[in-house]
Amino acid sequence: MVENPLWVALIVGAVLMFITLTGMAYMTWFERKVLARFQDRLGPTRTGPFGLMQPLADAVKLLGKEDLVPASADKWVFLLAPIIIFMTAIVGVSVIPFGGEISIFGFELNLFAADVNVGALVILALGSVGVYGIILGAFASANRFSLLGGLRAAAQVISYEMVLALSLVGVFMLAGSLSLREILVAQQDNLVFDVFGLSISLPNWFILSQPIAFVVYIIAAVAETNRAPFDLPEAESELVAGFHTEYSGFRFSLYFLGEYINMIVISLFAATLFLGGTDGPFAQDIWGLGVLYLLAKAVLFLFFYVWLRATLPRFRFDQLMGIAWKVLLPIALLNVLFTAFVRLISNGEITVPGWAWLIVAGVAIGALLLSLAGERTRSDHSRPAAQAGD
Amino acid sequence: MDWASLAFYLIATVCVLSAAGVVISPNPVHSAIFLILCFLNIAATFVLLGAEFLAVAQVIVYTGAILVLLLFVLMLVDTEKLPDFHTGQPVQRVVGLILGLILLLEIGAAIVARSIEGQPGSASRAEVEAVGGNTQALGRVLYDDNLLAFISVSLVLTVAVIGAIVLALPDRVRGTNKQRGTGTINLGHPVGADGTPLALPQVRGEAPIPPMAPGTLRPVGADRRIVMVSDPDTYNTVGQHEEPLPDLGDDDASRRSLAGRQGEGTR
Repeated sequence: MVENPLWVALIVGAVLMFITLTGMAYMTWFERKVLARFQDRLGPTRTGPFGLMQPLADAVKLLGKEDLVPASADKWVFLLAPIIIFMTAIVGVSVIPFGGEISIFGFELNLFAADVNVGALVILALGSVGVYGIILGAFASANRFSLLGGLRAAAQVISYEMVLALSLVGVFMLAGSLSLREILVAQQDNLVFDVFGLSISLPNWFILSQPIAFVVYIIAAVAETNRAPFDLPEAESELVAGFHTEYSGFRFSLYFLGEYINMIVISLFAATLFLGGTDGPFAQDIWGLGVLYLLAKAVLFLFFYVWLRATLPRFRFDQLMGIAWKVLLPIALLNVLFTAFVRLISNGEITVPGWAWLIVAGVAIGALLLSLAGERTRSDHSRPAAQAGD
Repeated sequence: MDWASLAFYLIATVCVLSAAGVVISPNPVHSAIFLILCFLNIAATFVLLGAEFLAVAQVIVYTGAILVLLLFVLMLVDTEKLPDFHTGQPVQRVVGLILGLILLLEIGAAIVARSIEGQPGSASRAEVEAVGGNTQALGRVLYDDNLLAFISVSLVLTVAVIGAIVLALPDRVRGTNKQRGTGTINLGHPVGADGTPLALPQVRGEAPIPPMAPGTLRPVGADRRIVMVSDPDTYNTVGQHEEPLPDLGDDDASRRSLAGRQGEGTR
């Protein structure tokens, strides 16, 4: 474990928090702009050049609103809930490694607040605690729509958290560590293939060795952050605003902040785990380039979030649960099994003849197709009108 | 006193106080919140002991999953209708007090017998460092040394979950076409709530629907085709008759029932 002195860690943490909050503010601007382009509009233009002052205007507006507490609400829980979701969201940034050792003004310091040796699990744990912000806020509001949103959030987060964790197991196996810094280091090697005498060198990013895990992770991460098309806890067409129906002013904006910071943390996390984090061409040579690479990869994920929101309609709740338990969970488990197998073989602990590979691959693909086909026929049977309407 | 022990006493104090809050608080949801606080502080104690993996596992499993489920149930239950456990019978109070005292004495005796310092475990710090940290050490103990026990426990837990699902299944899913005592309103199978069969107009090209015995249910889609309205003036039966059926006249009742069956189809 690599450590900063305590005071350095505190300063780095404070700077990271400041950057994250600013990033969150401009994430809302980014989302509105991109969404507007998808819908053939311009988005915010009036506040400053390209509407860049819009987040400031929003913040002032939200601060100026009245902080209402419903008369029948459970007051202390109602006041506590938004703080939980905001706190847990922002702590997640502290374990993301933004780079190795650098020297500023003669000080040697590491570009992360803390290198926890179970860093990846810390982010998962923070996500699972953060859901209390939703559940308790929904319960304390004494509102049926809020309660329904909270129930949905509870079921959704429990299901998708498991999928999220299982999708990462393959990465942990390949990296041999739960520390995000060591996962980053493991991805800085080169992956060299010899194809017909031609030597191909690829970066050892885990998206190349764990593509299935990557896809499962992306889907589960969208559900875990309650974003469209999995935003059922706040489905406005059914539940008014879901769990935050009764919140106003700055308490509402804490929920808002929490959601966007969660997105940023999950994107940075995904970039670190699957896309090599700070790795990239010349990242070792030029100072500061690594951080830019990491941020660029995170923005790629954030754009993907907005793209999904602009494109896909919301799922039904039973579809949401069905995807998690019947599709993603078996795929993630198979991926873990397969990765463990490959790991054992590459370590030379077991040897397998070539024909056995074909059988294994055939059985795996067959099982997958069968389960998908079974899923298809069942859903057709239960919804005959889905085909008929044209 | 060094920083570690100061932190420990702070954490332990909050932990004990929140545990007391679980018992004292009259509102079950507040009890659950205190329990969350208690679990988080236990995780913090694990961190102080250098067991980061256990700490995170504690947060993910207990705080993140089990208590969410508990709150899930609490939100579905009307808390006003729960039995009030703070105003129980005198007998319950006395028995509870005695049992609590016995438990306290047992724990006290255990602490005194082993001395408050605590005993070192079977693995030393050097041994743990040799395999690369406590996460790796825990993995070796669970998946190498005690693999059989671990798998057996997993199997038992899986069986328990399946058993719980089977027990919780409603009758109509477990049995086959069980007849139920009461009729329900169902647009596809028009039996009124009182059991009187509704008059159904006949759709051309289909056998007339025999009236059902009062209070019976028919499995969905048994011998009816679903009718979709794709155009206000022509009706299509799904998949089987592609050609539009001739018009059914302006009988309002037939329109209504067709619309009803369309509702059944899109449900």
